[in-house]
Amino acid sequence: MVNPVALLGADITVGEHVARKVGPFTFNLDTIWPTLLAAALVALMAWVLHRKSTSGVPGKFQLVWEMGVEVVTRQVEGTMGERGLMVVPLAMSLFVFIFLCNFFEIVGLGSRYEWLAVPNADINLPLAMAVLVIVLVHWNSVRVRGARGYLHHYVAQPFPPVLLPFNIFINVVEEIAKPVTLALRLFGNLFSGALMLALIAALGAWTIAHFHVGYLATLIASIIWKLFDVFLIGPIQAFIFALLTVLYFDTAMQVEPSH
Amino acid sequence: MADTTQQAIQLAGAMVGGGIALGGGAVGAAIGDGLAGNATIAGVARQPEAQGRLFTIMFLTVGLVEAMYFINLAFTALFIFSLAKK
Repeated sequence: MVNPVALLGADITVGEHVARKVGPFTFNLDTIWPTLLAAALVALMAWVLHRKSTSGVPGKFQLVWEMGVEVVTRQVEGTMGERGLMVVPLAMSLFVFIFLCNFFEIVGLGSRYEWLAVPNADINLPLAMAVLVIVLVHWNSVRVRGARGYLHHYVAQPFPPVLLPFNIFINVVEEIAKPVTLALRLFGNLFSGALMLALIAALGAWTIAHFHVGYLATLIASIIWKLFDVFLIGPIQAFIFALLTVLYFDTAMQVEPSH
Repeated sequence: MADTTQQAIQLAGAMVGGGIALGGGAVGAAIGDGLAGNATIAGVARQPEAQGRLFTIMFLTVGLVEAMYFINLAFTALFIFSLAKK
């Protein structure tokens, strides 16, 4: 008998975490520890690479890493030119970190509390990274253009200076929308991935005349979904996050011709 | 009695809202994917040696387009699994 309540996922909860309250703060422990694990893995990879890297014949690991750096560097140079090279380390580490975080979904079971949850399925991590990126973007914008050029950018675009209030309104909305969309894009994708796993797991309650066909359905569906989500969506979203970081730096550091 | 009615209205509202969000998002994502695929096919037909480069950009665009849909999916889940139960 199909239990419609189970198939509807009435026991699926969204946005529920293993949380500890300390004073006014809430710590989502099941987000924090995979984040720390991913950060430690990235640091370990960097350390191993630092120890083993040679200018002679490179090992496989160094080769893959250098290919990644080369791809990012070419992308950055294509859009920003020489002055964009300072963004490469940030974009590369963001890409590797997000990629590793997203990869944790491969052990996801779709249970309420995962033992290795995808940290990006919690809005706090993507939002923190987006805010970090945007703060750096604005800081570099002021550094390159000077305070006057930075403020000039808000009033002089995209309409002629006569429509000053509209210009300010449009630009401020755009600057606020940047971190929000950057964070929501990553969060939405990974959160939906975790949710789909939960729905697929709820499929396991499906029986036809005492045969537990649900188990087989869950197995097949989760394999298909994980192949799609872990190996396509995760890397693409990590790449998009890094690429948009580069693009935001690009637009913020353009020195306009003097009027 | 009033409580049951209230719950039923909430459940119905959440389901309908979630359905509309999913449906609208799917229409938008499908149109966007179609446009990206269309442009890629046109580009490859015109210049077959650019296929490798065009495919990278296409997957990037598809990722950006589908991100909107996945945000919709997340909000639908919020409607159905979280708000409907309150």
